[in-house]
Amino acid sequence: MSEIKELLVKTMEKIFKKHITKETVDLIDEGQWADDVWEILKENGLLAACISEKAGGAGGDLEDLFSLLKIGGKYAVPIPLMEYIFSNYILEKFHLAPTDEMITYNLSDTPNCTLSENGEVSGAFPHVAWGRYASNLVTIAKGSGGNYLVKVPLKDALVKEGANLAGEPRDYIKLTAIPILEKSRIIDYEQIEEMILLETAAKCAVIAGTLEKIYESTIEYTKQRQQFGRYIHRFQLIQHHIAQLAGETVIVDSAVDNMMEALVEKRHRHEIPLTRIRIEEAIRTVSASAHQVHGAIGVTYEHNLHHYTRRLWSYRDEGRGHLKWSQKLSRDLLQSNNSMWEFLTTY
Amino acid sequence: MKLPSSQFTKDQEKFRLEVRSFLQKELANRTFETACDSWLSGCNPQFSKKIAEQGWIGLTWPQKYGGQERSAIDRYILTEEFLAIGAPVAAHWIADRQTGPLLLRYGTEEQRSYFLPRITNAECFFAIGLSEPNSGSDLASVSTNAKKVEGGWLVNGAKTWTSNAHDAHFMITLVRTAPYSKESKHSGLSQMIIDLHDKGVSVKPIKYLTGEHHFNEVFFEDVFVPDNRIVGTIGEGWKQGLAELAYERSGPERILSTFPLLEEIYSILKQQQNKEAMNRLTELVAKLWSLRNLSLGVAKMLEQGGEVAVPAALVKAMGTQFEQSIPEMVRLLTETYPTMDAQKMLDRYMAQSILHSPGFTIRGGTTEILYGIIAKDVING
Ligand SMILES: Cc1cc2nc3c(=O)[nH]c(=O)nc-3n(C[C@H](O)[C@H](O)[C@H](O)COP(=O)(O)OP(=O)(O)OC[C@H]3O[C@@H](n4cnc5c(N)ncnc54)[C@H](O)[C@@H]3O)c2cc1C
Repeated sequence: MSEIKELLVKTMEKIFKKHITKETVDLIDEGQWADDVWEILKENGLLAACISEKAGGAGGDLEDLFSLLKIGGKYAVPIPLMEYIFSNYILEKFHLAPTDEMITYNLSDTPNCTLSENGEVSGAFPHVAWGRYASNLVTIAKGSGGNYLVKVPLKDALVKEGANLAGEPRDYIKLTAIPILEKSRIIDYEQIEEMILLETAAKCAVIAGTLEKIYESTIEYTKQRQQFGRYIHRFQLIQHHIAQLAGETVIVDSAVDNMMEALVEKRHRHEIPLTRIRIEEAIRTVSASAHQVHGAIGVTYEHNLHHYTRRLWSYRDEGRGHLKWSQKLSRDLLQSNNSMWEFLTTY
Repeated sequence: MKLPSSQFTKDQEKFRLEVRSFLQKELANRTFETACDSWLSGCNPQFSKKIAEQGWIGLTWPQKYGGQERSAIDRYILTEEFLAIGAPVAAHWIADRQTGPLLLRYGTEEQRSYFLPRITNAECFFAIGLSEPNSGSDLASVSTNAKKVEGGWLVNGAKTWTSNAHDAHFMITLVRTAPYSKESKHSGLSQMIIDLHDKGVSVKPIKYLTGEHHFNEVFFEDVFVPDNRIVGTIGEGWKQGLAELAYERSGPERILSTFPLLEEIYSILKQQQNKEAMNRLTELVAKLWSLRNLSLGVAKMLEQGGEVAVPAALVKAMGTQFEQSIPEMVRLLTETYPTMDAQKMLDRYMAQSILHSPGFTIRGGTTEILYGIIAKDVING
């Protein structure tokens, strides 16, 4: 990582550390969100990361974006961080205008809505992240000639509020003949797949941050809690949990770093699914071990562990998840003429 | 714990293909047969000689000692190509992986110029003499002892589980040169190079559970070890040995011991166009991919002189459990009847993997001990 990037990461961490407390994270369950944090991030230009300066952004690349998302995951920020930045990122990528207004996205390889000849979209989306707060939605619409990336205003949409396991807004949205704001040129299958790849990669970064947080706070807990007159980290079975937590966290961190590098070098077609598939086990192990080590306190609302474990249990089923990625990777493997070793060592 | 990510240069890619095509040719010529776990159980001195002729033993060492002064990443590539094809490299493995770096770090000039060229020529193989009947995980409790005599030391005691001692010429042996004390059990230990053909040394086979001769007991009765065969400093043997461990624990051999089996099942599932099984295989592929990144990260850090004891322990703990899991997964993906002499490669690799895998999580430090090391570091860190 370059020095500028390290500085950026440090600045971001500082902001998050200063402004995000357990109470901030709790807001989500009270149906609120941390708009003060949002404003601070905005002032510092962090919400415009990875958008070119030409388009009114703060510049930076995917690595910056992912570093930011990882920190976001670590602090469980109750704001639509990924949704907002990622929506603008894909808008710009497809030559549409990024926006200052609240925006979210919904991507799927089979479009959920249709685009009529006169530029109106109709369709329904089951779990739109932060939908109720968003003024705009970026999604893929099926038109007469093919698929388009469209930007749709949400003020006339039907919104039914819902939430994921972590209490984050995941709303049902129904669009009936809503005139779009903008559309891309026709996009092909490969382009849609590329968007979904990137979205998965971004989610992996968020999850890596959440895993790191759980790991760090579990270690802390073992240094505070005493039983039988000893700190619990002195018990060997607790040490095994610690070692496994460390292993899973480090391996995911390294996977995400390697994935980012592959992205920068545009050889990420398999690296992203591999990371995503590996993360599944990390989520399983880390959430189970962390709760076990915390004992009863960890399953109370009072303690903050659940903010992170509930997010992991949510994120793993959002977007394209383990099952679909493994099916897809397995299709590639079935068709490949390479040996397994060639597959692993060809960059 | 932050590890660098893995990338290879064009030259490194070229080197990989060079090694690969050499090995494929040798395989086609039947110089060797692919087998699982052959880095430790595939001892074939003639094959090691061929590797030496390529200049591939001691690849990273100075040229004046017969090395090529190549990078640690080149060596990583070389060793993982051996492992992927299951080549019998056990004869020279220990000397290449551990003895060379140890002597380069702590050895005398005389030791280096005597041993290293012989190692790179595959004329001189080494064994590791750590474990004893009563000292396994609690290694610092070893009781093989050496008494100072004129011009050297007299060694008495026994080592056990010594892999390939029957084919090796020398053994780096951990001995007690000062009495054991509970308070400072790590002091008073020293490393010596013992000639396994010297008077007073006897090597007795211990049959592995397959009946194969793989490891040994080594007995010492008044074995004279001259002063010039002491490695580094008397009393510093523990510290010196710890430096070896990072090499011993983080390499690709902690991930790839059963790789030939994974390769074979992949080829079978492709022939069957078996979607469902391939879906499940992707989990193993993702695990392998991520472990390899980790292990490569440690190799990079080692090259930059970083502190890697704990990440190396992580690689070994996680990697060996992965190697162990492959046959267990494979048998759920296709029909197999494992036997050691099966005609079908899958069945043969299955047999090798099942029968060798209990040792993976024991040799080189048990998983339990590694977990302890990791946890303690995390708590103190
Ligand atoms: C195939 C193979 C090849 C080998 N080759 C060599 C060789 O070439 N040279 C050599 O010197 N040695 C060699 N070894 C020996 C190896 O290093 C030892 O087996 C290993 O260090 C464990 O010692 P042990 O077998 O005595 O088990 P023990 O130490 O007796 O352990 C028995 C069980 O108790 C557990 N245990 C022990 N202490 C603790 C603790 N503090 N906390 C929690 N659990 C604990 C262990 O994890 C294990 O499960 C080899 C072993 C194998 C299997």
